[in-house]
Amino acid sequence: MEDHLQNLYEVLSKIEGYVYPNEIELNWSILIVLYPYITGLVAGAFILASLERIFKIKVLKPTYGIALLTAFSFMLVATMPLVSHLGKPLRAYEIMITPHSSSAMAIFGFVYLWYLMVVLFLEIWFDYRRDMVIWGNESKGVKRFLYKLLSLWTTDISPKAVALDDRIGYIVTVIGIPSAFLLHGYVGFIFGSIKANPWWSTVLMPVIFLFSAMVSGIALVMIIYIVLTKIRKQLLDMDCLDTIAKYLFYILIIDFALEGLDQIHRIYVAEESFEALHALVFGKLFYTLFIYQGLLGTIVPLLTLGTLQFYKPKPQIRKVIYIILPILVLMGIFFMRWNVVIGGQLFSKSFYGYTTFKTGLIGMEGYLMAATWLIIPFLILSFLLWLLPPWRKIETSHE
Amino acid sequence: MPQHIKRLLGVFAIFIVLFLVMRQVLKPSSFGKLGHFRADAIYENTLKPMHYTVADSCTKCHRTIRTEKDKGFHKNLKCEVCHGPGLKHSLFAGQFKVGELPDSLKLNKPGERKDCGVCHQKNAARIKILFDTINTTMVRQIDLAEHNPPDLKANEPANCIDCHNPHQP
Ligand code: HEC
Ligand code: HEC
Ligand code: HEC
Ligand code: HEC
Repeated sequence: MEDHLQNLYEVLSKIEGYVYPNEIELNWSILIVLYPYITGLVAGAFILASLERIFKIKVLKPTYGIALLTAFSFMLVATMPLVSHLGKPLRAYEIMITPHSSSAMAIFGFVYLWYLMVVLFLEIWFDYRRDMVIWGNESKGVKRFLYKLLSLWTTDISPKAVALDDRIGYIVTVIGIPSAFLLHGYVGFIFGSIKANPWWSTVLMPVIFLFSAMVSGIALVMIIYIVLTKIRKQLLDMDCLDTIAKYLFYILIIDFALEGLDQIHRIYVAEESFEALHALVFGKLFYTLFIYQGLLGTIVPLLTLGTLQFYKPKPQIRKVIYIILPILVLMGIFFMRWNVVIGGQLFSKSFYGYTTFKTGLIGMEGYLMAATWLIIPFLILSFLLWLLPPWRKIETSHE
Repeated sequence: MPQHIKRLLGVFAIFIVLFLVMRQVLKPSSFGKLGHFRADAIYENTLKPMHYTVADSCTKCHRTIRTEKDKGFHKNLKCEVCHGPGLKHSLFAGQFKVGELPDSLKLNKPGERKDCGVCHQKNAARIKILFDTINTTMVRQIDLAEHNPPDLKANEPANCIDCHNPHQP
């Protein structure tokens, strides 16, 4: 007999209590954990860039370019976990050419394109055009061609043209902030609007996703900045790092408050799902929720960053803190996505049983696949940093 | 308008036109025939191999068991629930004599204690649900560990089907 039809007993060994037949397998796997994680990094990194650009927080200057390029490289990969999860990569484009207004997934294609092309691409293009023209004239070979191609063979770098670029870049960023909110709010919306699932269904979900996105994006740029500066053997701009840490702290507070609010609301309302969720949280999600997400990913960073606001240790110690904290935060946010996506599928909608999540190392939905989609953005980023090094840009002050 | 803005707009225009053209070219041919989806998807799904047959098809060859079963408590269970997918079996088993059925056509004969336990093992969650439903549709729950457990010393019958006929329990 065919194996897959005969393994009823094996399947039943995965469940506890009573679950409906369609709940035994988790349909949304690790790749769907990755997808909100990566889009979150994009939105977060972009918001950090716009802090400098729109809100004129000048100390953040060293991270502006890095943040933009980071957002761009992660954005290019953002849909890939979805595509490989669906398993029909050759048909992936069909969602774009046959959209339906009632399908949130189809609309996402356009939100994505808008954000990638109109916001990120244009902002980077206007920001780098003058430099690309100059670098194009200076370099040779393939690099020269790339610069020429990217700058569309334009040559006009008169102050007037550059001022115009700057102006348009500014407008694009202004449009970009609501777009970033839209992009990630949308991802939260997808989960928050699944009303059959009490673990997801809350209007707070888009907002929580948004703020956790900012937290993770800022932490990521922080690490990349530190690593890059070390590689380039430059001095770290401690003012800049302190300021990033400050914003990380503020947003982490909001994020923590929102998530706390969500949980307190759940506990106070104690709907019929409460007992099942309670057992879930203290059972299968205990480590990922309380230890990784809560303690290591939120409380520890929050307390450390809070302390730093009053008491500043020596730069040497702060540096170490600024390397460890973002890693903790990034891990915490990853497990937040994990708890939402995987956690939401572990309990039966009958509230009488639980299933288990297992995934292998290899295979279309395995850990290696997930790791690949996390590593590729860094390769893209390295290429972009080689092509468009933000530190070689001629100082312009965004007015 | 400055030259570079013009070029940029040009590139975007090309992209949009290209998108509209590609839309026409790449749109699956059967899209929209039956609704907002690819009509061929239905056809492609019918090509997938089938594993199960209709409930009555076993009756053709195993009528006695069917009549036996219809009188007992298991009357509402389909044969394939216990014996597994039987399409291939019901198509080809007729070509073989009694006792000569090749392994590839054999079906499950789930007669062990744990097999009956799949449905009858006591389960707090299950009982809670079933108390809400009408009593006659309830599956009786027994505790596998307590209900006539095998006695190793005396070599007593212990398999469920030693005492219960699976087709007429
Ligand atoms: C075309 C006639 C035919 C149909 C239809 C048919 N069977 Fe059979 N079945 C047989 C024959 C012949 C045997 C072999 C009898 C033997 O070897 O003792 C058999 C044997 C079996 C056995 C015992 C196999 C074993 O290992 O001893 C089971 C169980 C069984 N059938 C179940 C089913 C079920 C369930 C269906 C409906 C999905 C079904 N059969 C439909 C002809 C048929
Ligand atoms: C509750 C589960 C169950 C259902 C439902 C069920 N069977 Fe069985 N059947 C069994 C078990 C268990 C055996 C093995 C009995 C044994 O080994 O003595 C069996 C044995 C058989 C055999 C082999 C008989 C033999 O003497 O070797 C046939 C044929 C068969 N079943 C046909 C059917 C058909 C046809 C139906 C549907 C009308 C059906 N069964 C429904 C559990 C079931
Ligand atoms: C697919 C689920 C399923 C499996 C497997 C199953 N049963 Fe049942 N059993 C039922 C259902 C459903 C009833 C009928 C409940 C009713 O209508 O009262 C039932 C009824 C019974 C009854 C009568 C209980 C009463 O009300 O007195 C007995 C005895 C029984 N089964 C024994 C067995 C044995 C022995 C096996 C293993 C060969 C078995 N069952 C396998 C579902 C199953
Ligand atoms: C030693 C013989 C024997 C064995 C072995 C045996 N049973 Fe029973 N079973 C009985 C008798 C006799 C009754 C009816 C008296 C009673 O309710 O205890 C019964 C009753 C039942 C009932 C109905 C209980 C109720 O509440 O009405 C179910 C269900 C059942 N058995 C399932 C099983 C299953 C499943 C197995 C295998 C794990 C099994 N039996 C093994 C003899 C046996």
